[in-house]
Amino acid sequence: MEYFIQQLINGLTLGGVYALIALGYTMVYGVIQLINFAHGEFFAAGGYMGVIVLSYFAGLGYMETHPVFCLTASFALSMAFCAYLAIGVEKIAYKPLRKESRLAALLSALGMSIFLSNGLMLTQGVYDKAYPSELFQGGLSFGLVTVSYLQMLIVCLTGALLVGLNILVFKTKIGMAMRATAQDKTMSALVSISSNRIISLTFAIGAGLAAAAGIMVGLYYGSVRYDMGFVPGIKAFAAAVLGGIGNITGAMVGGLIIGMVEIFGAGYLSGEYKDVFAFIILIAVLYFKPTGIMGENIDDTRV
Amino acid sequence: MRKKSITLLIMGLMIVPFLVTMAAAKTLHIGSMSPLTGPYASDGTDIKNGVLTAIEVFEEAGGVPGYDKIELHAQDTACDPRQAVASANKLINLEVAGVIGAYCSSSTIPASTTLDEESIPMITPASTNEKVTDRGLEYMFRMCGRDDDQAPASAKFMKESLQAKSIFIVDDKTTYSQGLADGVKKSCNELGIKVLAHEHVNQGDKDFSAILTMAKTANADVLYMSLQGFSPGSMMAIQAKRLGVKSQIVTQDAMFQPKFMEVAKDAAEGIYLTYGFTDPTTPEYKAFEKRYVPKYGAIAAYATYAYDSATALLKAIKAAGSTDPAKIKAELMKMEFAGVSKHVKFKANGDTGSSYIAFKIIDGKFVPYWDPEKGLLK
Amino acid sequence: MIQEFKKIWKQYAIGMLWLLGLLWPLLGIHPDGTLTFQKTFTVWLYILAGTLVCLFVYVANQGGQLRFITTPVDGVKKSISLFVKPFPRWVWFVVIFVLAVIYPQITGRYATDVAINVLLYICLGLGLNVVVGLAGMLDLGYIAFYGVGAYTYAVLNVTYGVGFWFCLPLAAVFATIAGCIVGYPTLRMRGDYLAIVTLGFGEIVRIVLNNWMELTNGPNGILGVKPVSILIPVFENGFSFEIFWVKKLQFFYYFALALAILVIIGVHRLNYSRIGRAWESIREDETAAELMGVNTFIYKLLAYAMGAFFAGLAGAFFAARMRFVSPESFTFLESAMVLCMVVLGGMGSIPGIMLGVVALIALPEVLRDFESYRMLIFGATMIIMMLFRPAGLIPAQRVGKRSEEKE
Repeated sequence: MEYFIQQLINGLTLGGVYALIALGYTMVYGVIQLINFAHGEFFAAGGYMGVIVLSYFAGLGYMETHPVFCLTASFALSMAFCAYLAIGVEKIAYKPLRKESRLAALLSALGMSIFLSNGLMLTQGVYDKAYPSELFQGGLSFGLVTVSYLQMLIVCLTGALLVGLNILVFKTKIGMAMRATAQDKTMSALVSISSNRIISLTFAIGAGLAAAAGIMVGLYYGSVRYDMGFVPGIKAFAAAVLGGIGNITGAMVGGLIIGMVEIFGAGYLSGEYKDVFAFIILIAVLYFKPTGIMGENIDDTRV
Repeated sequence: MRKKSITLLIMGLMIVPFLVTMAAAKTLHIGSMSPLTGPYASDGTDIKNGVLTAIEVFEEAGGVPGYDKIELHAQDTACDPRQAVASANKLINLEVAGVIGAYCSSSTIPASTTLDEESIPMITPASTNEKVTDRGLEYMFRMCGRDDDQAPASAKFMKESLQAKSIFIVDDKTTYSQGLADGVKKSCNELGIKVLAHEHVNQGDKDFSAILTMAKTANADVLYMSLQGFSPGSMMAIQAKRLGVKSQIVTQDAMFQPKFMEVAKDAAEGIYLTYGFTDPTTPEYKAFEKRYVPKYGAIAAYATYAYDSATALLKAIKAAGSTDPAKIKAELMKMEFAGVSKHVKFKANGDTGSSYIAFKIIDGKFVPYWDPEKGLLK
Repeated sequence: MIQEFKKIWKQYAIGMLWLLGLLWPLLGIHPDGTLTFQKTFTVWLYILAGTLVCLFVYVANQGGQLRFITTPVDGVKKSISLFVKPFPRWVWFVVIFVLAVIYPQITGRYATDVAINVLLYICLGLGLNVVVGLAGMLDLGYIAFYGVGAYTYAVLNVTYGVGFWFCLPLAAVFATIAGCIVGYPTLRMRGDYLAIVTLGFGEIVRIVLNNWMELTNGPNGILGVKPVSILIPVFENGFSFEIFWVKKLQFFYYFALALAILVIIGVHRLNYSRIGRAWESIREDETAAELMGVNTFIYKLLAYAMGAFFAGLAGAFFAARMRFVSPESFTFLESAMVLCMVVLGGMGSIPGIMLGVVALIALPEVLRDFESYRMLIFGATMIIMMLFRPAGLIPAQRVGKRSEEKE
């Protein structure tokens, strides 16, 4: 039983990270129907920015005196940085291709992904970068079950960001404009919604969430590396599709499911085949419900 | 008309220096193969740096007679067999006299087949899989140790020094890590250490919490961590500590990286690892350290082996007086010198022998801890 | 020159400022608590100088300032096309064929090796073209079939000693079966759902190859795969056959060339057959195709099977050439690379894909000397190519607009 609970906690943590990355995929897809392969790199860039800011503060000696300030600042700066990066990336690599075939944009995204991860390698080095912080070390133990403070932070922060995002999308004017753009760009332009601005905003928010996930992963696993975005990127993409791509709650559910399946697959069945289990669940769900768990029926003519 | 002739004159003048250098300089070409991009880029870069240092030292000591300079062609294999073969072919075209590399055993094996067809000597500083030298290739040499030497040494250490009765093995499914883990499992069975489980993770994984929870529940005396590269190793160490895994962690030569402690910090304390014995007090090591550290940073697992491999190759070429592969091989077999990493002497199959001892991480340093012959070291 | 291209200059200026803002946090904030600007500026100035030159050339070309270069180039182009026209097309095929035949004789080992890669990837690219270019189904796990083909030959050869020529059709058949297995459950899905499912299948195949120790020897791969052999008649002591192992790269090149030519002819025939038209109708509008009496289920499955068939052939050749197979050759990135070749060259266009393959195999090899900048330049080139030629280098002639894009 303790074993089960411990694995459940592990699964929640991992699922939370996947959910945060998957949100960016799903939001971008919802608005411009593009699988943004570079999204995993936003996640990595976020992790790097976190370590840069945190080590800067550590170098100034603020870490001991104002730990909460340092952490907040690193989250804020890193999310801002990634939003800035994502807006530029969209303008350079995707916007000119909006009218072309979707495969062209997909390849451009793939090229961007290779470019960004190698750019990170060149500016930050090939070695792992260690997170300086000793923040949130330790945790609570209940018998054999250990919950670290970091795990709690990840789960809470993920939940908070998700709630915030839901409020933003469903309760505000901006969110309404985003949903309108997602449904019909021409129509929303007619009611004076600037689709370019909305798309930029979507990219910025998605990348910001990925950056938050990047810092959490960095804190949790202790280090970041330039190629860290690739595997979680694919998993999060799978999670977004599993939940029904374009659907925010779906991405969250999908992320949690993929995380859980991986952890329980490894914990009860076999560690080396855990990714296989995740993909089999994905394929099985899509076989019976081709639009994902929460996806609406897509238009037949879409390729 | 005048304009044209002036342009021609300038162009001619620009070509002249090239012609002059081409006529005068005779360059000795050496190849290196290691992953310079991808997940193992850090170890691959160390290898390249080690070779570069060796060339630098050799040139300062007078170089190879008959050649004005030694040029290194560093090829990227990205730890991918196809790219490894492609770069081997490229090096053959460049007419290199010998090759240092590669890193991943799975790259070294196919690349060495290609190089051997053209009789180009290859010395690997990092591929520890048995098959590298056991296939009877004539021009394959190895500077590092072998997996089938490391695994028994490790098991013996666990039995004698740690008095382990049970062990939990994790590997990450690469030629290197799995081969080693299988070897440890076999040796443990022979020595009567109970193998509670042998679990696998995948390359590129970051989250080991499921496996570590399993290890925590199994509560073996030793958690044997067989991973390719220090990066997953440091992450596993951190997560093990956080989860409260009480087993002693024992691991292997891939973790012999100062970066391992930099990332894992206090989670690395008390971890044991097996690594080829390198005496850091020898003058050779000191000299290497003095030259390498300011330029490339701390010395990591494979830089010393790469340095020795390149030195051995260059010495052999110098002694042979030509780049004829048969002569180079003969010289390599004859040679014996005190290298940075070990005392270099090639055996008939191309190995240099292994000298695995156990290190313990104390205060962020690798401290020699136990020797299979001498027992505990001070 | 400034006035005409005001917009471009403005965008460029904004872009460079953006880049500066991007670079500084990455290069200028140090862990010892100091901030510097010098390194950022140096790097930025290098990039600025480099891009400025490119932009000047571009703007000058657009503005007609480069006429003194472009006019002669155009003249040469024109005279070439004038020279080319009178000859029928087959003459050029013959010329290309002859060039391909003498290629290994006039180049070195390395070039031959790269050429073999190009030929193998042409087979792969054309196979994927059937799925993506003709039938319009996005497949991100294509390399799995290549892996199945390679492992079929490697396992059969090493474990049971079966020869290459017997294994070649078997490899293709096994890959085809794998294609049907993947194809069947995915036929109901469309678009990006299909993409992720095929990606999943690709990953599953790779993980199984990496973990099924008994069959595939796991991450160690299979060593000692025999090269291609041919029987040569010998007339000593009567009549007998002698086995000749094709170990030399040059001979292998000719086999790969033969395979590539067969695949090119095969895909060309498929493309202009009834089946090819059915595929294209599915790509353009599946509902309409079904209405017109095209059995979409069978044809989509057939597209998967045919694509996998060609990949299986290429895979067996790959195993015979490397004489070593390991799961590392069949990662997602390889699938993505083959897809890039197809899209970059021009979906559905055979010469386009061949050009795309040459470009994407040759580019990293040419950039080999740039070491760590190699993949950076590669990624950038991919983006730039897509921005300037989104339909591919040589777009296919018969591709219509898809219904969704008309809007």
